[in-house]
Amino acid sequence: MINRIFILLALLGLILMFLPFLKDFDFHDQLGDLSSQYVEGSINDLNSQNVVTSVVVTYRGLDTLGEVTVLFLATAGIGFLLRTKKRSKKSRKSSELLQTASQFLLVLIILTGIYIFLHGHLTPGGGFQGGVLIATAFLLLILADANVEFNHKVLHLVESFSGTFYVLIGFLGLLLLGMNSFLDPTIIPLGSFGKLLSAGAIPVIYSLVGLKVGSELTTILDKMGGE
Amino acid sequence: MIFSLILGFILLIIGLYGMLTQKNLIKIVIGFSIVDTGTHIIIVSIGYLRGKTAPIIDNAVDLANAAKQVVDPIPSALVLTAIVIGLAVTALMLSFIIKLYHKNRSLSISDYQELKW
Amino acid sequence: MVNPIYILILSLVIGFLLTIIDKAGRKLSLFFLYGVLSFNVAVMFIWFYQFAFVGRASLMIHTAGFIAPISINLKLGLLEAFVLLLANLAGLMSAMFLFKKLKETHISGLILYLVLIMGVNGLVMTRDLFNMFVFIEILSISTYALISIDENKRSFSAGFKYMIAGGITSTFFLLGIIFIYYFTGNLNLDTVLGNSSMLAMKTGVFSIFLLIVSIFIELKPFPANGWALDVYQAVNSGITSVIAVVNSAAILFVFYKILPLLPDQYLMVFVGAGIVTFLFSNLIGIKQTDPKRLLGYSSIAQMGLVVAAISYTTKLNISQDLVFIMAGGIFINHFLAKAGLFWITGIIKRSEIKDWGILRNNTPLLLLFGVLLFALAGLPPFPGFWAKWEMAKIFVSNNLYVGLAAVLIGSLFEAFYLFRWFGYAIKNERKEESLKPVDFSQLFPVAVFVLITLLTSVWIMIRVYAFDLINFLPVAAVFGMYLLNFLKAKLKAVLAIIVVILYGYSIYPLETALQSLFGIIFVIGSGIMIITTMNRKGKISGFYGFLLMMILSMGNLIIAKSFLSFFLNWEFMTIAAYLLILRGKKGQVPALTFITFSLAGAYLMLAGFGFMPNVLSSNAIINTIGSIEIPLAAMILLLLGFLIKSASFGLHIWIPGAYAEAEDDVTPFFASIFSKTGIFGLLLVAISFIKHSSEFNPFYWLGWLGAISAIVGAFLATFQEDVKKLMAYSSMSQLGYIIASVSLLSHLGWISALYLTLNHFMFKAMIFVAIAGVIHRTGTRQMYKMGGLIKKMPISYITVLIGIIAVSGVPPLSGFGSKWLLYSSMLEKGWYLQAGVFFFASGVSFLYLYRMIHTIFLGQLKYEHQNVKEAPIYFLIPQVIFIMGIMAISMFPNLIIKPLNSIVGNYFASTIMIDGYNVTSSLGHWNGNMVMMVTMGVFIVPLVFLILFNGRTQKVKQFNIVFAAERPESPQTTHFAHNMFSHYYKALGGLTKPRIQNFWNSVSEWSNAIAGLFRQIYTGNGQTYLLHILLYIVVLYIFLGV
Repeated sequence: MINRIFILLALLGLILMFLPFLKDFDFHDQLGDLSSQYVEGSINDLNSQNVVTSVVVTYRGLDTLGEVTVLFLATAGIGFLLRTKKRSKKSRKSSELLQTASQFLLVLIILTGIYIFLHGHLTPGGGFQGGVLIATAFLLLILADANVEFNHKVLHLVESFSGTFYVLIGFLGLLLLGMNSFLDPTIIPLGSFGKLLSAGAIPVIYSLVGLKVGSELTTILDKMGGE
Repeated sequence: MIFSLILGFILLIIGLYGMLTQKNLIKIVIGFSIVDTGTHIIIVSIGYLRGKTAPIIDNAVDLANAAKQVVDPIPSALVLTAIVIGLAVTALMLSFIIKLYHKNRSLSISDYQELKW
Repeated sequence: MVNPIYILILSLVIGFLLTIIDKAGRKLSLFFLYGVLSFNVAVMFIWFYQFAFVGRASLMIHTAGFIAPISINLKLGLLEAFVLLLANLAGLMSAMFLFKKLKETHISGLILYLVLIMGVNGLVMTRDLFNMFVFIEILSISTYALISIDENKRSFSAGFKYMIAGGITSTFFLLGIIFIYYFTGNLNLDTVLGNSSMLAMKTGVFSIFLLIVSIFIELKPFPANGWALDVYQAVNSGITSVIAVVNSAAILFVFYKILPLLPDQYLMVFVGAGIVTFLFSNLIGIKQTDPKRLLGYSSIAQMGLVVAAISYTTKLNISQDLVFIMAGGIFINHFLAKAGLFWITGIIKRSEIKDWGILRNNTPLLLLFGVLLFALAGLPPFPGFWAKWEMAKIFVSNNLYVGLAAVLIGSLFEAFYLFRWFGYAIKNERKEESLKPVDFSQLFPVAVFVLITLLTSVWIMIRVYAFDLINFLPVAAVFGMYLLNFLKAKLKAVLAIIVVILYGYSIYPLETALQSLFGIIFVIGSGIMIITTMNRKGKISGFYGFLLMMILSMGNLIIAKSFLSFFLNWEFMTIAAYLLILRGKKGQVPALTFITFSLAGAYLMLAGFGFMPNVLSSNAIINTIGSIEIPLAAMILLLLGFLIKSASFGLHIWIPGAYAEAEDDVTPFFASIFSKTGIFGLLLVAISFIKHSSEFNPFYWLGWLGAISAIVGAFLATFQEDVKKLMAYSSMSQLGYIIASVSLLSHLGWISALYLTLNHFMFKAMIFVAIAGVIHRTGTRQMYKMGGLIKKMPISYITVLIGIIAVSGVPPLSGFGSKWLLYSSMLEKGWYLQAGVFFFASGVSFLYLYRMIHTIFLGQLKYEHQNVKEAPIYFLIPQVIFIMGIMAISMFPNLIIKPLNSIVGNYFASTIMIDGYNVTSSLGHWNGNMVMMVTMGVFIVPLVFLILFNGRTQKVKQFNIVFAAERPESPQTTHFAHNMFSHYYKALGGLTKPRIQNFWNSVSEWSNAIAGLFRQIYTGNGQTYLLHILLYIVVLYIFLGV
């Protein structure tokens, strides 16, 4: 009971703390300096249609590398936590419908995923979205058959090398363009605005991110599905 | 008062309330997810500009005057990162619960108070 | 130069590839892991060297080919390089410590570890707010996962609580970032700092508060830190040390980076919160018996202190050097000591501090443990000591008295529980089971950190404070003697005497006669007393080093040129004394009492010195102190500190235990020499006071305190069965005389004070050495178990006889002169009542002195002592030397009165006339030589008479006593010496009730009870901990008062 009171007090306190901000808040009328620079830079310097992608992959590329690392860590962490599992074979089979449909949908979903991360610099979406989509394909497989076995070797290879190449592309910038150019996408010609082959290394990086995210999430699903 | 921001904040408080009152470990994690979602909504709201379009410079946007027509791309980029991180943390929390359940066969948080004082 | 971003690249590439590398064998994976970690250390070492010694400007690294704030940038400057060098080193060493674990565990463990360390590097270097969030998450997630390295329920549940807390705090951090972005349109820290006016309104400050408070909660402030304690307790020691030092260092650095965002007027909230954390964590620490949880509390406390120091220095904007010594000193001290101690808990694997006696089976490890523990307790020469010194000065100069008091009380709690632990390790019953041989991979990291701790300490002493080499001698002596440990005790004793002689020679000639007087006591007296210890056999490791440390630091007190040097040596002396007491068989509890009281005194002095100006002179402070005015507050603090050392009434309860339980040949050092340091300190304060006297005269009350000490000490001594305790209380009583006569602040008073000092030094030394000989031969300290030893140990008897004549102040010996001077000076000053008390106390001292000499030497010889021989020659030599000393100054008082007259003449106008052997005061005159002659005459006439007509005496033999047909149940109680003064006890025993003892006991009980009460808040429930965090945020915001 006393505990309840404290909980309510704490939440009430938080509400009162946030209230002035909530009350005063209104949307900005125009972009700030930095955002404007990003929009213009994305068009002029990077040749990338999708400004968010430019920000994610280039201007805040270090964040994204960190983000990929976080995901990688989560996979490694879950693998580490669940290292001594006794894989209990469940004989649960799902309906015929799901099983058949999943086989059929698998390729389609994966292809859509690949499309999304390849066009990350042009249309909404990108490496993360595409990667997640790919992972859902495998989730479908797990749902259809809890005993499904993935090829771990391939998963590991994709996981390791997509990440490694991502870092190496960043490193290439450092090597070619100087000490301030880690993750610089201009190591590859920028191409023409609005085309698939544009925005320098952005699509390459985003594809690698897509593969990385897809394989990481699949590994996570696989690990947790096994429990 | 902006509705989306308030909504995000309400989700945050609901999530916290859940985390503080639910005894089931999985429900606590669900509470955490709600908090996370609330935060993401707040972030996105902050990037919104009235009457502007998505920061993707396609046909809908005038190339020369792009900066005047789009919403802020930065919060969108940030929320992407925040979502992935939230996902990672949630996944890890669930793995902890799996391990705890394996060791103890209980999902109640009050069964894990052995260490104290 | 290597671009530090390579640390991130290399760690990530190897991290990503490790799963595949591991297919080729764990050896290869480990090679890569250690390779990258070593690479990190090397890079940071190069940069640290460049910044610190070559003077390079700090480095800005931008990414993606754009300059910040468009892109994210990293900064590497001196501070970053310093923190990262330490962090990477700790990362490498912890990995080494975990070698066995990492060899066997899942490959993900290696990956997580590697990326964790990378995250630390990124977090410290990045200048972007959101990037900080990402790196914090990298750090947290890898930590969460690594917590499960030992797969037990405890670490899983601790890990879950940690995740709940961490998850919510990072949510608040994220909200803070996005709100700041909303107001400033930027995420780059430097840009935001430049536009801080955009955040000046209420909601802006609120955003900054969210940002800072979440980082602060990651630093585990009291009471929002329950989750952290569970982690410290439950998780593998190697990982815990990473969490406690590496993670904390990185998070702390983030705190340091973002703190300037907060307007100055709000910073005090964090100073307060840090200090509260320090005080309460240490308070609860005294209830802990699990070493890892104990270290957890200490970690949290230390982080609180660093936060307070950082916030305060940020607020004050003081010079960078001071910030480095103060905040940096606490930080590095904590960093090195805590990592090392956590590793040791991983080696010992005992979850009760009582079981740590096993540590003694491994001497090198014990030594490492000792060094780290002393460092953590903030003792010199380790960095924490200097930090506290500067902190006291800064706090005092800004009138932050409450803060200073809290910090010092917290430090005392911390020292208490650390030394209790140390006591168990040194003294508790050794378990039969032996310690498994320690792997080199586990010992090496600890040794490296101890080495760095020592090097840092030396560096601070030389480079920052520019100490003379002589200040290093006490510590150097310990190490020297440790290296010579293989020598026999006798040889070491001779060596020690030579060192003392050389030391004395090197400080000779002293500038003033006052210094020379104390030089005689501290240095020459010690040199003579070392002879006693030559009776020891074998190697007795760890004795002479500490003995020399004590002697040399006492000597350094006399010649200290600054307050800091004085205090440094004072602390050295305390440490050495503590270790010497701990050597005694039952030394554990008395040593803990001693160190607690001594450190309490030291902290009072530290606060007192905080009020004093810095003196830089080529003269010793005892000579220059007259020109310095000590503020009244400082004077009272200093006096209290010195009174603890001189065992004044109320502060005396450490004295019986310490004197009685120290080894028998060490007690004389304490009683006759060590106790005089307190007197020296009193004089130091008094000299300043007489030149700058103020309205309020603390010395008047000191005089009364001396009188009470004298009478209470005498009573307590009277009712002791234990001869060493008797002498201990007698010391308390005698020191009361000295304290009172110093307090007279008059010419005659000080002559008598110095005279008493010298006198007490000699007779206490004689008696204790003689008693040591008796105990050595009879094997007991209980007086009623002795008797009739006069025939067996005649020289010891004569020593004690002369000693007690000198004590009691009957003619003809020097004691008479001192008493005459004392009473004259008291009457002259008009202290009639006090003089009466002293007169009465002198009467009481007859009781215990009579008891001592009678029950030990007179009466019947015990059957079991039939074959007792005279004390060994090494005990007799010092006795004889001191007898000669006493006789010389008794026969020729001018030898001493004249120099004393000239010493005191520097401070007061002379009120006595010295004419030949005649000393004339306003009240009368005393001719020591004449008194001696007359008394000798009075003594010799009856002696001759007795010798001539002695035929008719008959000796009482053992069996002349017949029991009346029954044998008493416990025969010893029928001995006249047992409970000798029971009739007096009936009348006066009420005065000796252990009221003071009870008072201090209840202080200790209350502290324990309060600590017990506060730790109830840590319920063990993860939800409660979350609630604490939320309430803490709210409450802190209310305190912020935006």
